[in-house]
Amino acid sequence: MSVDTTGLSRRSLLKGVSGAALVGSSFGPLLAPSRARAQSSKLVRVLAVEDPFFFSMKAMIPDFEKETGVKVELESLSYDALQARLVSAFVAKTSDADVIAVDQMWLGQYLDNGWIISLNDFIAKDKDIDLADFIPEVLYSSNTWRGQIATLPVAAYAQGVMYRKDILEQFGIATPPTQTSEAWTWDAYLNALKSLDGKQFGGKPLFPTVVCGSQPSPIVHMFTQISASHGANWFKAFPTSPWNFEPQLTGPAWIKSVDIYRELYKLSPPEAINYVWFDAGTRFAKGDIGMFYWWTPYFYLIKNSGYMTGKKSDIMGKYAAAAMPKAAGVEQTISLGGWSLGVPSSSANQEAGYAFIKWATSKATQKKMALWPDLNYQFSDFARVSLYKDEEVKAIYPYLDVQYAMMKQGNGKVTRPPVPGYTALESVLGLTLNQLLTGAADPKVALETTNGLFTSILKGNLMIPYQKESFGDTLSEAKALISKLGKS
Amino acid sequence: MSVQTVLAPQAEKPVRPSFVRRYLPYLLIAPSVIMLLSLIAYPLLFALRSSLYFWNLQIAPQPLTFVGLANYVQALNAFDFRDALVNTLVLSVTGTAIEFAFGLAIALLLLKALPGMNVVRALLILPTTIAPIVVGFLFRYLYDPGGGLITWLLRVFGAPVPPMGLLGSPTTALAAVLFADVWQWTPFFAIVLYASLLSVPDEIIEAARLDRASPLTMLIRIKLPLIRRTAVIIAMLRFMQLFNTFDTVLVLTRGGPGTSTRTLGYSLYEQGLINFNIGLVSAMTWITVLIVNVIVALYVSFAFRNEEW
Repeated sequence: MSVDTTGLSRRSLLKGVSGAALVGSSFGPLLAPSRARAQSSKLVRVLAVEDPFFFSMKAMIPDFEKETGVKVELESLSYDALQARLVSAFVAKTSDADVIAVDQMWLGQYLDNGWIISLNDFIAKDKDIDLADFIPEVLYSSNTWRGQIATLPVAAYAQGVMYRKDILEQFGIATPPTQTSEAWTWDAYLNALKSLDGKQFGGKPLFPTVVCGSQPSPIVHMFTQISASHGANWFKAFPTSPWNFEPQLTGPAWIKSVDIYRELYKLSPPEAINYVWFDAGTRFAKGDIGMFYWWTPYFYLIKNSGYMTGKKSDIMGKYAAAAMPKAAGVEQTISLGGWSLGVPSSSANQEAGYAFIKWATSKATQKKMALWPDLNYQFSDFARVSLYKDEEVKAIYPYLDVQYAMMKQGNGKVTRPPVPGYTALESVLGLTLNQLLTGAADPKVALETTNGLFTSILKGNLMIPYQKESFGDTLSEAKALISKLGKS
Repeated sequence: MSVQTVLAPQAEKPVRPSFVRRYLPYLLIAPSVIMLLSLIAYPLLFALRSSLYFWNLQIAPQPLTFVGLANYVQALNAFDFRDALVNTLVLSVTGTAIEFAFGLAIALLLLKALPGMNVVRALLILPTTIAPIVVGFLFRYLYDPGGGLITWLLRVFGAPVPPMGLLGSPTTALAAVLFADVWQWTPFFAIVLYASLLSVPDEIIEAARLDRASPLTMLIRIKLPLIRRTAVIIAMLRFMQLFNTFDTVLVLTRGGPGTSTRTLGYSLYEQGLINFNIGLVSAMTWITVLIVNVIVALYVSFAFRNEEW
C-alpha cells in the first residue's frame, strides 16, 4: 500500500503538533494530584531531612494532627537530595511542600531569591511564640538574614569534645573541662592526644583521635571549628557591613589551623581520609578512639553501635563530653549548625505551614521529642534556653550544660559564612584540605592557591566587587530584631 | 498513404487519497518525533542557550547577563577539569575493555553444556538490576579497611593494601571504583554476547572444526566477526554510560582522595546539583557531549570502516 504524503504542509504539521500538545496539557492536572491536595488547609506537607531530629518529630506528628485536625504528610530526604528537590521545585514554581527543612547555608539564597517567605509578620502577630526563649546565637546563625527571621530552628547543633573516661584515666591524662578555659587550648588538646599515640587499650591498638577527611562538606565542617577558634576569617568584611568578599585564606590563623588538622589526621585511623560525618562518630563508638570533637548530636548518637541503630554501643557509660579547646589569646568561637523549618513562597497553605513550624519548635513539642525513648533517646538539640534547664530532660541528657555553653559562644556566620555561592567555595576548600592531609604540600602554598581559586569563583559569581546592598549582619542586630518582634 | 489515427487512452482521473491515508504516517511517527524533540533536542538547546549566560541559582533565580563563551573558558580552566577528564577516560576505556573481555569469557563458558548453567544464567542478571548507588554502598563495606571482605581477601593472598584502605589511597581508589563497576556490568556483556554467540550458525562452526581450526582461531576468525555488530554496539553503549559515571563515585569516594577519582560526571553533578551554577554546568554538559560524540564517531567509523553502516 502506498500513501501519498505530498499534501502535508509544514503549517498542517505544526497544527498537528500543537493539537497533541494541547491534548497533553489537558491531562496535566490528572498527573498532579498532590498539587490539588495542597489547596486543602486540612493538610500540611512537610519536606524534611533525615537527621536525628526527624525521627522524634515524626513520632510526635499524631499529637499535632489530634490537636489541630490538620493531617501531616511528612517526607524525608538525604541532604543533597533535599536541596536538589527544593531548588527544582522553586525554579519550576511548583508547590512541593508547605513546610521545608532549611540548612543555615541555604537561608540567604532562598530568601534573596524569594523562594521562602519572611516569618517576621507571623511572629510579630503571635502572642505565645516566646521568641525570647530561643538562644539568640542560634537564631542569629541559622535563621536571620537581612533583618528577617525566615525560619525557626527545629534542631540546633554546636561542636564539643567527646572522650573516653577509662582511657584517659589509664594513661594519666587530665579530664578536659566542661566549660571553655584558657588552659584548655588546641595545644593542650594535641598534647593529650599525642600522649595516647602508639598505645594499646584492652589489648588492642588505640588511635588517639579520629577526624573527617572526606571532601567537601565533612572535612570543612570539622576543620572550620579549628579555624574559627583561631580567629580566621573567610572574607575581608563579612558579616559586618559593608560586605567585601575578597578572600583571606592566606593569614597565619589559617596556616596554623591546617597544621593542627594535619596533626590530628596523623593521630587518626588512616582510613579517616574518606570519613564522612557519621563515620567519625561510629568509629568512636567502636571503642578504639581516645578523644575527638564533633557536632553535639554525637554526644548521644555514639550511644548506638551504628548510626541511629538503637543498639547500644560498647562505650556506653565509658565516655563523657567536654568543652571545645580554644586558641591561646583568642576569644572562642564555636561552629553552629542544625536544621530549621521555613515556609515556601509557593505554598498555598502558609498559615497552616507556620502553625506546624510553631508547633514543631515549641518548648512542649521539643521536650516530648527529647523524652521519646526509641533509638536510645536521640534528641537534645534544643534551640530554646528553657529546655537546657529542664531537670526532667537533664536527667536523660547529661551533657546539656556543655552543649549550652558551646551554643552561647557560637557564631555560624563567621565559621562557615552562609553567603550566596558558598558551596562552590566549600568544594575548593574541601579538596585542598583533603589533599593536604595525605600529601606533603606546604600549607601556605596550598592556601595561596585556594585563595586564588576563591577570588576567581567570587568574581565569576559577581561577588567581587559586591554589587548588592550590604547588611550589618551582627549578633547585636539579630538581638535587636528578636527583641522588636518579641515585644510586638 | 494512409493515416491512422490512434486515440490516446484517456488519462485516469487522479484519485485524491483520503485524509487518513495522507496523514497516517505522520500521525504514526508524531509521538516519536515529539518525544525526541522534548527529551533530547529541547534540553540540549536549552543547555546551549544557558551556557552563554551567567546563571547561578545561588545568586539569582534567573539568568543575569549574557557572558558569551566565558562559561566554557571557566569550565576548561577549572581546577579539576584536567584530572576529571583523565580519570573519566581511564575509567571508560579500561572499564569497557575489561568488562568486554570478562563478559566474552563468561559467554563462551555459558555455551558449554556444563551442569548448573541455567542457574548461572539466572544469577548473572542480578548485579545489573541493582542501582549503582546500592552497589556503591555494598562496595563501601566490602572495601572497609577494618574487615571488609575484599580487603581481607587481598591481605590473605599477600597483596599490599594501603593503610588508609583501597578507597583512601590515591593510587588504588580509581581502581577500586572501576572494580565495583566491572562487578556490576560484566554480566551485561556476558548475557548479550551469549545471545549473539547462540546465533552463530552451527554448520560454520562444524566446518571449521572439520578443518581442524583451534578454539582460539574459531573465536577470532569466525565467532567474533559474526557477532561484531552487536559487540561494537554494546561496547559503545557501555563506554557512553561509563563516561557519565557519577553515582558510584559519589557514594564510594566523593571524587577523592584529592581528585584521584573525580570524573566529569561527578563534576557535573557537583556544579549542577550542589553549586547550582546552571550556566557553568550547561557549558560542561556541551563539552562532555562533544567529547563523547567525537570519540564515538571515531570508534564507529573505525569499527565499520569496511562495510555499510
